Amino acid sequence: MIRTALRHHAPGDLEEAAALLAAHGERAAVVGGGTVLVPSLTRGERDLDHVVDLRRLGLDELSGTDQELRIGASVSYADVLSAPPFPGAAQLLQVAAGGITGGPQIRNQGTVCGSASYANPSSDMPGVLVALGAQMHLHGPEGGRTLPAGEFFVDAFRVAARRGELLVAVSVPTRPDRIGYYKFKLAEGSWPIATASAVLPDPDGSLTGATVTLGAVSAVPLRLDLAPLLDGNGDLAVPAAEVDGWVAAQVPEPWDDELAPGDYRRTVAGVVLRRALQRAEENR
Amino acid sequence: MTEALPTTTAPESAIPTRELSLTVNGRPCRVVCQDRQLLVEVLREQLRLKGTHIGCLNGDCGACTVELDGKAIKSCLVLAPAAEGSEIITLEGVGPDGGGLDPLQQAFWDNDGFQCGFCVPGQIFAARQLLARTLEPSDAEIREAVAGNICRCTGYQTIIESVRAAAQAIGEGTEGLVPEVDTPA
Repeated sequence: MIRTALRHHAPGDLEEAAALLAAHGERAAVVGGGTVLVPSLTRGERDLDHVVDLRRLGLDELSGTDQELRIGASVSYADVLSAPPFPGAAQLLQVAAGGITGGPQIRNQGTVCGSASYANPSSDMPGVLVALGAQMHLHGPEGGRTLPAGEFFVDAFRVAARRGELLVAVSVPTRPDRIGYYKFKLAEGSWPIATASAVLPDPDGSLTGATVTLGAVSAVPLRLDLAPLLDGNGDLAVPAAEVDGWVAAQVPEPWDDELAPGDYRRTVAGVVLRRALQRAEENR
Repeated sequence: MTEALPTTTAPESAIPTRELSLTVNGRPCRVVCQDRQLLVEVLREQLRLKGTHIGCLNGDCGACTVELDGKAIKSCLVLAPAAEGSEIITLEGVGPDGGGLDPLQQAFWDNDGFQCGFCVPGQIFAARQLLARTLEPSDAEIREAVAGNICRCTGYQTIIESVRAAAQAIGEGTEGLVPEVDTPA
């Protein structure tokens, strides 16, 4: 059981939610799907007086324009998976959601925005959102603001939200890029050891303009522009071993945790990157 | 030596408390709980529904699985106040009214799907969700469906076989359909 005198709030609007978070600062946290925060309270790792529940804020909307999809903070992985196929680059989010660890129960409970807010280096969503150049929509005591995903993830378990701010939605582009996702983990129930999200914008099928974003291999996702590896036609100009060496050199400070040491992550990063690239190339 | 866990020194009377309205296994009920209680704790302690088990309290094992508004969820990951107004089905609510087993439970019984039975809630509710979607699941789909549950007897193979048999029995119509997820009004 949770041993602290926790108070549960389910505010009915964003202003009230932001005011609660601002008033209680470090003593409060947002609870979305609960898959991370609740057990951390049970284990006594988090010591809070207040939790602010998103459930009455109406943030369960998954909506689209012709350029982007907007995923509200209460949208679960199961909601993402049961939606019609996402168009273009946004499809990456659906592919990654299908591989979330923990079985259907966790996919029913866990949310895209919750995973982003937790910012665990060893997780799928940060890398996917950075790869897509997602826009992160925050709301705080001074109103709303939007940040690109690349600026949202500032360090392991740290995001650029200010006191009183919560993530209310993310937007991902639907431009017709080809995408490929590859996740490497050592057991079904494990967090990823390394992930790679390939985004190929060239409509002619070359790798011109291609990026691959590595997740779980460093404190924050690493978005790599493949230009140094390409020839004039936009094809890979170097053999696999050289690609792997180049990738390893892009990871000067690999993420190290109980799942895998940093040098292991750095070593497998190139292989994972190449497999994501291969999937994207097959995804025509 | 381990560090002391954060613990309140406030008296019990100062712990935030509320009354919850829930519909559990088709019956509306009101229950008083502390804000800090987990849904699984309220189901077991206040409502005495011991079919929902406490295993890891970490979202890993699945023994605390229930259906919350029609979705299989791990009730150790839900603060009880977050379930306000919800419809919940626990393992006790799966079988037909008046007792007996539903076709899915029967398939587990017939195929020795369970040894100690601790993981029953997770396996049953995960399988129910799968069979509500398809009655012709592949073995890979069955494995994927039950992946969020840990069977410490390691009886996974008979669990897979039980789900496969349930799908077949329900599909052939000899056993009737899995009960609707929504509770009667």
